[in-house]
Amino acid sequence: MSLAFAVGLGIAMGIVFGFALEKSRVFEPGMIVGQMQLRNFIMLKVFLTAVATGAIALAVLNGLGYVKLQPRAAAWAANAVGGLLLGAGISLTGACPGTTLAQIGAGYRDAWFTLIGGLLGAVTFLYAQPAINKTFLGQSGSSLVFTDLVGVPYWIGALVLAAVCIVILVVLERWSPWRNDMGNDVDGDLPAKISK
Amino acid sequence: MLTNKAWSPYAAGIVIGLLQIPAFLLIETALGASTSYVTVGGIIASWIDRSIHVTATSRNWWQVALVVGIAIGAFISMRLSGARRRPISPIWRRALGSSSPARRCVVAFVGGFIMLFGARIADGCTSGHGLSGVAQLAVGSTVAVVAMFAGGIATAMLVLRRI
Repeated sequence: MSLAFAVGLGIAMGIVFGFALEKSRVFEPGMIVGQMQLRNFIMLKVFLTAVATGAIALAVLNGLGYVKLQPRAAAWAANAVGGLLLGAGISLTGACPGTTLAQIGAGYRDAWFTLIGGLLGAVTFLYAQPAINKTFLGQSGSSLVFTDLVGVPYWIGALVLAAVCIVILVVLERWSPWRNDMGNDVDGDLPAKISK
Repeated sequence: MLTNKAWSPYAAGIVIGLLQIPAFLLIETALGASTSYVTVGGIIASWIDRSIHVTATSRNWWQVALVVGIAIGAFISMRLSGARRRPISPIWRRALGSSSPARRCVVAFVGGFIMLFGARIADGCTSGHGLSGVAQLAVGSTVAVVAMFAGGIATAMLVLRRI
């Protein structure tokens, strides 16, 4: 794989990714903070739809033998502690590492501070990594996959996951239609607490 | 359709999920975003501190290009629909109890730091563990995503004010 090909494809895929993030409004701080305060469900809907779609695509590609899966190693403490910090950061920034760039593209100026803070956080981790690896956070295991634990092929598990996501989405949409979550200026800025 | 201000979360989610196909087939990796911060941050740091060595593979540069593309794509989409944004989202005035841009920028900076520091400990973010790990039925990624929502909900409920 040449560098030029990788970068060209990355830009092209990123443009599609950024376009979809902007159109879904999930990059809006109002959607992210609203999701974490459980009054707006756009983030969960985009997330579960993308997971279901990805699972179906991978079920086909992996089931037919075109691609190998790349599950990351399960490291319980690191996954849990890192995940908690990641979540705290997501609420404070109203973004995640990918949507920070969508915020910048769409014109939010504070997102530049998120980006700089993020770069500094990543560099600080580089320095801290040798010390962190000596603690309980450095213990990594093998890559565990649910279907291996149960003993069924991946594609079956992936289709079950997609089905579960779709059922949750149908229920969620009935309970809280997506258009009601758009807010004033498609920014998730909803009128003061409405009772559902 | 390209000039709409908003798509349904389902249409957008399907587009994002389909991006796994070129990622796996052509780059032999899953969608992710947070490693790009290490690649770019590490290279900038290595200009200042010679002891830092970051080896960036084509796959690392693919991810950097992906996040740059995200900014370009969001910009194009915003220009096509005319959904221009103010410098700071109006929700922050309520969430932070202050309309001070300086205060918002400090919170964004600190939040960005915690977010990437946490993502690197966990070895992934909303994309790598969330979209890609969960779709691959990875047990560790599922733990990370549950923790991410737990940390996010706790922070949004206890630290931020209700929007």
